[in-house]
Amino acid sequence: MIFDASVSGRSVRVEVRGADGRYSLRLDGQPLEVWVTSAGPGFTSLLIGAKSHELGLERLPQGYRVVFPGSSVTVELAPAGRGSAMAGRHAHGPARLTAPMPGRIVRVLASAGADVVAGQGLVVIEAMKMENELKAPRAGRLQEMPVREGQAVEAGALLAVIGSGD
Amino acid sequence: MTRRRFSKLLVANRGEIAVRVIRACREMGIASVAVFSEADRAALHVRLADEALAVGPAPARESYLRIDRVLEAAKASGAEAIHPGYGFLAENASFARSCEEAGIVFIGPRSETIALLGEKTSARREALLAGLPVVPGTLEKIADEALLVSEAEKIGYPVMLKAAAGGGGKGLRLVATPGALLGALARARSEAQGAFGDDSVYLEKAIVGARHIEIQVLADAHGHAVHLFERECSIQRRHQKLIEESPSPFVTEELRERLGALALALVRRVSYVNAGTLEFLVDAERRAYFLEMNTRLQVEHPVTEMVTGLDLVKLQIRIAEGEELPLRQADLAQRGHAIECRVYAEDPDQGFLPSPGRITALRTPGGPGVRDDSGVYDGFEVPTHYDPLVSKLVVWAGSRTDAIARMRRAVAEYKLLGIRTTLPFFERVLRHPAFEAGDFDTSFVGTLLAEAPASFAPVDVAIAAAAISRFEERRRSRARGVAPAASGWRAAARREAHTARIGTRG
Repeated sequence: MIFDASVSGRSVRVEVRGADGRYSLRLDGQPLEVWVTSAGPGFTSLLIGAKSHELGLERLPQGYRVVFPGSSVTVELAPAGRGSAMAGRHAHGPARLTAPMPGRIVRVLASAGADVVAGQGLVVIEAMKMENELKAPRAGRLQEMPVREGQAVEAGALLAVIGSGD
Repeated sequence: MTRRRFSKLLVANRGEIAVRVIRACREMGIASVAVFSEADRAALHVRLADEALAVGPAPARESYLRIDRVLEAAKASGAEAIHPGYGFLAENASFARSCEEAGIVFIGPRSETIALLGEKTSARREALLAGLPVVPGTLEKIADEALLVSEAEKIGYPVMLKAAAGGGGKGLRLVATPGALLGALARARSEAQGAFGDDSVYLEKAIVGARHIEIQVLADAHGHAVHLFERECSIQRRHQKLIEESPSPFVTEELRERLGALALALVRRVSYVNAGTLEFLVDAERRAYFLEMNTRLQVEHPVTEMVTGLDLVKLQIRIAEGEELPLRQADLAQRGHAIECRVYAEDPDQGFLPSPGRITALRTPGGPGVRDDSGVYDGFEVPTHYDPLVSKLVVWAGSRTDAIARMRRAVAEYKLLGIRTTLPFFERVLRHPAFEAGDFDTSFVGTLLAEAPASFAPVDVAIAAAAISRFEERRRSRARGVAPAASGWRAAARREAHTARIGTRG
């Protein structure tokens, strides 16, 4: 099976063969022998040669978040030939600002129709006793601003839509 | 003061500190009573306590901050004493007074001491009278905006806006220029109102390039008082402490003795009883300025416990029972070095945004010299309503160098999936040459975050692990006869709703 893997912009073609914990991989043609076993729910132990790695794996819509001691790596995967795993990430069209966590809107700093610059504060959301200012991901015209002060929002709730402004 | 022994104690808190107090009770043979909100039925403190009583809905002001309900729970359970932990009602003088009036022992200082020192402007007055140097600023809280502007001019920028009832970095704002003052004021007031139910603020000159150093004190009701040396708390972000240690690599023996003597001067002036902490800013010339006194147990008390060999919670309980302190200043010494890292449910890659949610997998470190004071467990859902502190990872070793190495080892062993935490950030701090050299002040975190993070993760290993997992996933779904369409892979995405990101990347 062949995948296109992508890690922070770098793309790698990965070929995987094998079964029952023993796998032969090629990363951009470089061979890698990997012996895998589960290390309890969420954790995986890898032996690559004699080198031992224990890591956590979190499923993401486009791949996995691989958690190492003190750091993590997001790996996006797509079947080979279906285009880059990064496809769709740079789509044009409106940018959506969503709530990163559940909380309460304490202030709305801009209104629909306004032109905003990248990094401009749009709303202040209170969660876990702290106020967090959420900023415009890019410049443009605010097409939608569907929240009110005092409103409770769930994680993922739409807070603002920014059009291209042209 | 009559001596007595408590047989049952109520813990008016939640999270790791409630667990900490319950553990002390268990070791002392005292029955523990937990209180909990509707959001905390499954919380660890409820599971560990001998008894537990519901005190109201999820928002703290309707449960943990309800003096009437907490007191009712104490009476209903027959608890003779209440330990308030930190935060919530811990520095609420009217709560302490209500306990006194109800004949329940409040484990902390007298209510009038809390009122005197908890209100920061009167605390500054008392400190001046006790001979402590203070940061230049307004001695009174200021309601009038025009007066605030002129006072700020008088003190000179940068200035610090502080909540009069504050603590824990809430309602605190650094203001660099006159133009930013009123905007910062609105935020400080609104945060202070939400956190403490009191929106009054005062002004102080911001001491730039300073260290945050605090002195732990203990005093009994018989007139004995000792200090338990310093804690270094300069690794903080927006006034929220992230790493504490004892001893401080910056504090000389001369400064340690000077700060200890200043701390005890205030303790004696106000006839302080029980555990407390005096916070100081110390500038590069080792000039010390008293900031405030916290009339409660501190979050970071474990580092003091590790280097002194004392159990501060047990001593608090014994003092409240009317016991004399079992030791004098000459009996005390700092032995070795201790460091604490506060593991918060915050995402350091997203500007430390809160990251509540379910912990899907958890491995905590062990081995020599490691202590994990945690309030969570594998499968626990970290609620959105409270402080994001998940656990305090503490290590002890013979020297600072060995303690840093041990903490790096412990952070590497600490594995937590499902939510984001500050653990990766600690890895960065602990590897930083300035931290290793002990050469840092309160601006360290800001400077560190401005540097590009070096990545130590083996990317090829990550790609191999991810590709093998996807390979096995597709094979399993084929074996079950499920079409391995892209949409099928997204089934797991339901669980990932909490990983929503702000807007698009680009």
